[in-house]
Amino acid sequence: MIGAIANLFTTPIVPAAFAGVAWGILGGALPGLSPSITMALLLPFTYGMDPSVAIVLLASSYVGAEYGGSIPAILIRTPGTNAAAATVIDGYAMKQQGKAGEALGISLYSGFVGGLFGLIVLVLLTEPLSRLALAFTPAAYFALGVLGLSVIATVSGDSLVKGLMAGVLGLMISTVGTDPVTGLNRFTFDSPELLSGIPPILVMMGLFAICELFVQSGQPGWEKAARASARIRFPGPALWRRIALPQMIGSIIGTFEGIMPGGGGTISAFLAYNEARRWSRHKEEFGKGSPEGIAAPEAANNTVACTALVPMMSLGIPSSNSSAVLLGGFLIHGLIPGPMLFVKHPEVVSGLYVGLFVANVAMVIIGYMLMTPCIWLVNRPKPYLMAFIYALVVSGVYSIETSLFHVGVALGFGVIGYSMRYFKVPFLPMILGVVLGFMVESNYRRALVLSGGDHITFVRDPISAGLLGFALVFIIGAMLRHLSETGNWKVKSRK
Amino acid sequence: MHKDLALGSATLALAAGYYLMAAAIPESQLADAIGPQGLPKTYAVLLAGLSLILIVRSLVKRQVASTGSAGSQGSDAQRQALWRVAGMLAIGVVYMSVVSWLGYILSLAGLIFATTYYQGGAVNRRVAVVALSGAVFFWLLFVMLLRIPQPAGLWPSLL
Repeated sequence: MIGAIANLFTTPIVPAAFAGVAWGILGGALPGLSPSITMALLLPFTYGMDPSVAIVLLASSYVGAEYGGSIPAILIRTPGTNAAAATVIDGYAMKQQGKAGEALGISLYSGFVGGLFGLIVLVLLTEPLSRLALAFTPAAYFALGVLGLSVIATVSGDSLVKGLMAGVLGLMISTVGTDPVTGLNRFTFDSPELLSGIPPILVMMGLFAICELFVQSGQPGWEKAARASARIRFPGPALWRRIALPQMIGSIIGTFEGIMPGGGGTISAFLAYNEARRWSRHKEEFGKGSPEGIAAPEAANNTVACTALVPMMSLGIPSSNSSAVLLGGFLIHGLIPGPMLFVKHPEVVSGLYVGLFVANVAMVIIGYMLMTPCIWLVNRPKPYLMAFIYALVVSGVYSIETSLFHVGVALGFGVIGYSMRYFKVPFLPMILGVVLGFMVESNYRRALVLSGGDHITFVRDPISAGLLGFALVFIIGAMLRHLSETGNWKVKSRK
Repeated sequence: MHKDLALGSATLALAAGYYLMAAAIPESQLADAIGPQGLPKTYAVLLAGLSLILIVRSLVKRQVASTGSAGSQGSDAQRQALWRVAGMLAIGVVYMSVVSWLGYILSLAGLIFATTYYQGGAVNRRVAVVALSGAVFFWLLFVMLLRIPQPAGLWPSLL
């Protein structure tokens, strides 16, 4: 804790948290830019930064984006992010009643409450897991990778088969480059740029940012927001008491959905909305401008912005697109999320905790200050916005290693991402494969070298056995749920 | 279902190609029991298996629904969308091709101008000024503020 507080004074964490939140709010306020895309656009800027500052900047933009999505949801009935879709229902109804400022205030305040709740959960849950760190063997790391890949079963969207295909394609991409045991080159086509493999950040920039540009291309623009609606009004004591219960409901649901793979902000916001209505004394107001209908989903999606980091930081397993992008931020700084992160880089972990606290406070301040710029941004002609985002993407990708080859790779993954959307193949399994592929292969083979080729080593190691058992239970449970829900290999979309 | 059939066929071909490339990885004296070809071959077989499941499933569903109408709904819209994507991609590829010669500011101004026009913006002096200002803004941000070099083009050699 002392180290965490010292971080405040030795590294520019506070400015990074404020800047990240500001970026996140602006990005989240633009319809079409999800939190993951907003974060992906920021990734290249973090390349030359101190790792602690870079991670705080990215995580803070996630916090800001979750709130930013509610601004167009309330003002122009267009959710800035998927998670803000639930906020549209009562937020826009309040705006039509002339209470836009009040709705925005409830959203901002509830996001702050949810964010702090999520941060407490993050600190309490991730720290104990770090104690396992020193006991991890190559077999245990392999099992951890398998556990991460088992998440594919729940994040496969409409079709389990397509999700598995995307996962395998990700694993294939991870094999490009130098073999981890023999040092032989694989699938490099004699290109020196491919010797160190395809960086996950390029895959993410392509699949999220460039693909979204392609998808948005040709789609109609959105409604304009009135400047007069730009004044936020924070809730008074009576309203504060009324929204306390839905905020708590949202925070609890956000905690579980954030930790659970495939949960994320969208599903938690809708679940929280439903539960808030179930427990409300004013059920009849839901859908017609209920403050509780804004408080619950906004608390939920901001809780997720913190709790989604629990599996990512403690086990190195991203449970959502946004946490996958944050994982990319860790990787470009040579930080490997997982058990050893707490041992080797405790300053990054403590810096993140402090940064997230500052980010949640900053969200209230910056959220209030940025309302007018957000409305100005939303009202810009869409062709200009698209052009500037494209310029930012190509400049940012080039900046990673000052390589035009990387720009080409990212554009290629943009096309792959567009094709995947066309064929309804989910992104997250592919990213899991890309991120975890190297860990799975290198530790699998190292464990076998150490055991003389005996596969029993994966069962003999208690941590490995436990993780593999957990992965098995996870896969069987997910498959049974898929089968019971549909009677075949299809599952309901969990977007 | 046509989409699933097309996807399954494409990934099956990809799996076959990837398997052949994996098999062509040379043996190494340092190789372990699995070897550098081991897991890639396994991934290829897995992808092939999943592709076959997708193909068979789509063929079965196609047979069941064969009595239904075979309209080409939305094909025009899809074609238009594909052209839009191809155009955006072409703008990016042209940027990559010219940035080494024209330099960052001019190439990026071109990218901003072309994208704005392609997305339905007008061609006038205002768009040109916005594009050039945007390029200068990004140059200031990346090169001057963040100290991240961007391609200078042929200009330094001419001066």
